[in-house]
Amino acid sequence: MRWLGLSLAGPAIWAAGFTLVYALHGAGCAQGWTDIAVAGAVSLHALLLWSAWLATLAAGGLLLARLLAAAPKAPGLVRALPRAGAWIGLGATAFTLLPVALATSC
Amino acid sequence: MTDATADRTPAEARAETLAIPANPPQRALALHRALDRVWRNDRGWWGQVTAVNHTTLGLRFMGTALVFFAIGGVLAMLVRTQLATPGGAFLDTELYNQIFTMHGSIMMFLFAIPMLEGLGIYLLPKMLGTRDLAFPRLTALGYWCYLFGGLILLAALLFGVAPRDGWFMYTPLSGATHSPGINADVWLLGITFVEISALCAAVEITVTILRQRAPGMRLTEMPLFAWYMLGTSAMMLVGFPPLILASVLLEIERAFDWPFFEVARGGDPLLWQHLFWLFGHPEVYIIFLPAAGALSTIIPVMCRTEILGYGAIVAAILALVFLSFGLWVHHMFTVGIPHMALAFFSAASLLVAVPTAVQVFAWIGTMWKGRPELHLPMYHILGFFLTFVMGGLTGVMLAVVPFNWQAHDTAFVTAHLHYVLIGGFVFPMMAAAAWWMPLVSGRARIRSLGEAAFWLILVGFHGTFFLMHLTGLLGMPRRIDVYPDNPEWIWLNLTSSVFGFVMTIGFALFALDLVLQAVMGQRSRRDPWRAPTLDWSLALPTPSYTFASIPGPRQLDRPAGAVALPLARGEGLLPGAPRPRRELLVTTVGDARPDHVALLPGNSALPLAVAAAIGSFVLLMLAGFYALTPLSLVLVAVLVWCWGRGLVRQGDAAPVEVAPGLSLPVQTARRRTLGWSGNLCLLLANGTFFASLIFGVGFLSLVAPGWPAPPARAADAGAAGWVVVALLALLVAAICARLADARQRNGHVSGRPALAGVAGNAVALVAIAALALLHMDDPTQHARDALRGVLAGYAALHALTAGGLAAFAWQQLRRGEIATRHGGALPTWRLWQDFAAATALIGAALVIGQEALG
Repeated sequence: MRWLGLSLAGPAIWAAGFTLVYALHGAGCAQGWTDIAVAGAVSLHALLLWSAWLATLAAGGLLLARLLAAAPKAPGLVRALPRAGAWIGLGATAFTLLPVALATSC
Repeated sequence: MTDATADRTPAEARAETLAIPANPPQRALALHRALDRVWRNDRGWWGQVTAVNHTTLGLRFMGTALVFFAIGGVLAMLVRTQLATPGGAFLDTELYNQIFTMHGSIMMFLFAIPMLEGLGIYLLPKMLGTRDLAFPRLTALGYWCYLFGGLILLAALLFGVAPRDGWFMYTPLSGATHSPGINADVWLLGITFVEISALCAAVEITVTILRQRAPGMRLTEMPLFAWYMLGTSAMMLVGFPPLILASVLLEIERAFDWPFFEVARGGDPLLWQHLFWLFGHPEVYIIFLPAAGALSTIIPVMCRTEILGYGAIVAAILALVFLSFGLWVHHMFTVGIPHMALAFFSAASLLVAVPTAVQVFAWIGTMWKGRPELHLPMYHILGFFLTFVMGGLTGVMLAVVPFNWQAHDTAFVTAHLHYVLIGGFVFPMMAAAAWWMPLVSGRARIRSLGEAAFWLILVGFHGTFFLMHLTGLLGMPRRIDVYPDNPEWIWLNLTSSVFGFVMTIGFALFALDLVLQAVMGQRSRRDPWRAPTLDWSLALPTPSYTFASIPGPRQLDRPAGAVALPLARGEGLLPGAPRPRRELLVTTVGDARPDHVALLPGNSALPLAVAAAIGSFVLLMLAGFYALTPLSLVLVAVLVWCWGRGLVRQGDAAPVEVAPGLSLPVQTARRRTLGWSGNLCLLLANGTFFASLIFGVGFLSLVAPGWPAPPARAADAGAAGWVVVALLALLVAAICARLADARQRNGHVSGRPALAGVAGNAVALVAIAALALLHMDDPTQHARDALRGVLAGYAALHALTAGGLAAFAWQQLRRGEIATRHGGALPTWRLWQDFAAATALIGAALVIGQEALG
């Protein structure tokens, strides 16, 4: 069960991050957070979206690093699937949330 | 669920598993007779009513789905006849609307999903090396719910009151104002009725795959079909609840005027779209994954090799299961969503093509390295490649926002979805039918008819739908019944209609081929394809008990044909039926170590009775007799109680010797039973339902135009008091559940905590009722108040459920059915009680937060 959980962890981190960023995006657009400047030209909305995206990337990266560093005593798919899951989660986080860096927010 | 991998390396685990000694061989015929006496269906018509066997029910699911497919196909032909000419007078607009709505609804909900459920139900126990699914009566309940729900929809069509708002029932078109009458209610209630069946199957399949694999069949080594079905069932548990919630909310709006989707009173039609597509897009993958599982099973054998990239395919399944939940907004690209959100979902829609492509390349690679043989299943597989890849590519086109805006709601989208669904599901299912028919019927196919059917279907399909891309690009909207001002669409539509009939003739031939094979085919030899999976080790057609003895580690490493005799002679585990009851082996999740013996219930009419009681609720709602519906719910509760009591009365709890020197306890001595796992799955689905409700509250609060809501009735001390009382009562009940559970494990069996649990839930119910009746605003006033009403109702329903479980446990304690080594209903009560308390707390916090933020 722990192995299954580890395999699901990477995509689950993406799912949580995707949900959080989408929720923050909707809430920020509705509440006018784009008009609140927090650090010079940076709006509260952008700050929150960037923070959530980077935090998700960090969590996914941390998981992957831990899995890669773990002693490879398990054979084949037992070792590979959690790592593949972590790569899937990290890649999906980087790609699907890239619009945080590229698109206008609202 | 128990974990086997935590403390030992896999090699150690396998060594331990492999050490299971073999049973001595016995006379196969004697074993067969003893087992058949225990496992077979009752005789005659009554036997059909009470059947709970997975083989019977799996076939019944698939057979019924094929009937609905035929009906849906006839409706499609009516649509094509209407569209063959620009001013078709074949159908009037009202009837045309009903027919295209019913075509889509039938194909999605009454054909595709039940067909994949039926395939999983029929095959999984045979592939995994077990005798039946985890909850046979639940399988039967699912079937009856499916049948009754489908019949309600069909009856509505016959009486001219079928749904007419399109298969995704967009609001406000489907609201009470624009869709008076019961047409929309038929869809909302009938489809929700059918979805009970999907949830039953999902629970069933998840638990069976995780906990009933043959000893030694580790997760990482199980057949790919099981991986695909595991992904599918997990997606069904998470994907269906948003649609169930949406249907419940719309039905409440239509029946009781609580506004969830009506803009003037704080609702928003986009909430429907979000909830529908939260289900609707994963649904595409829910349909595709089992089909892909069949392909991954058939292709290597047809190519006389092994699948290429087993691990990559499992990783691709994992990716699809998650990513498919991040695409739903691409169905809503034109509703006015901010650019950044569009970009999130566009990116996810593009990304999901990657794991799909991984599978396609793995299949192509498998064919490349093997020696493909062009038997009938292979024809359909090649048809799949051609069609599905084209559908996938138009999917990538639609994922690109600017193109999507141009093609939205045109015949291009209709063409795309048919390429995906017929390419990704129907062709693989036809391959699967040709592949597994010898197992089903015990007979070999009749030459040539199947090939002729294939060519007619392939040519007919592409002739119909390839042209529809062009019709869409020329601007033809979907769902129109006449187009007198657009002569440029005429030849395309006429040609599509002609080819549509060619395709229909092909499907009719396909059905005839199946019937002739079942009736007139020569007897098939065992394992005609020389396949490696355990299903082909069975006698043809398969016996009622599936395996005379459960395959053990010794049997797993050998070809299916080579293990048939040893298993039939009882050399596996748990041979025969020395005790007159239905027994199967439960194994651990990771490495499939034998854990305990589960005792399954026998044939029963209870599933039919429960489905009929639920059906009475649906019919009363449709008839508008809302005041009588509680009677149906009481009846359901009573029958569910009887269901639970039936589980208790399963006799001798002595350990069972499954192999020489290996005795295992029966389920009553285990905490983590199949039932416990099933409840966990159910709570996952329930949690998704609740999360969708929270999403609805957040979405309307933030995005809906009719907010802020009018001032709420001033929050007084009385309201706060009732909230506190309800939460405290649920908390006390949760503590009682834990106390009862802990005391039972420590040998101090007592009924008092369970009784206190009943009282706690009763107090919570009273408090919630007082809060709703005395302090909450009129729920018809605004969406905020309607949502609060739903939250209160949800909390009350769960207090009632948890209270019922506490009462059940109390009764078990009084009767002495719970002992030191037998927890009875206590672990299940604890699960539900914790869930009830947690969701009530979250709901209360949400309302308090809303009030605080103004």
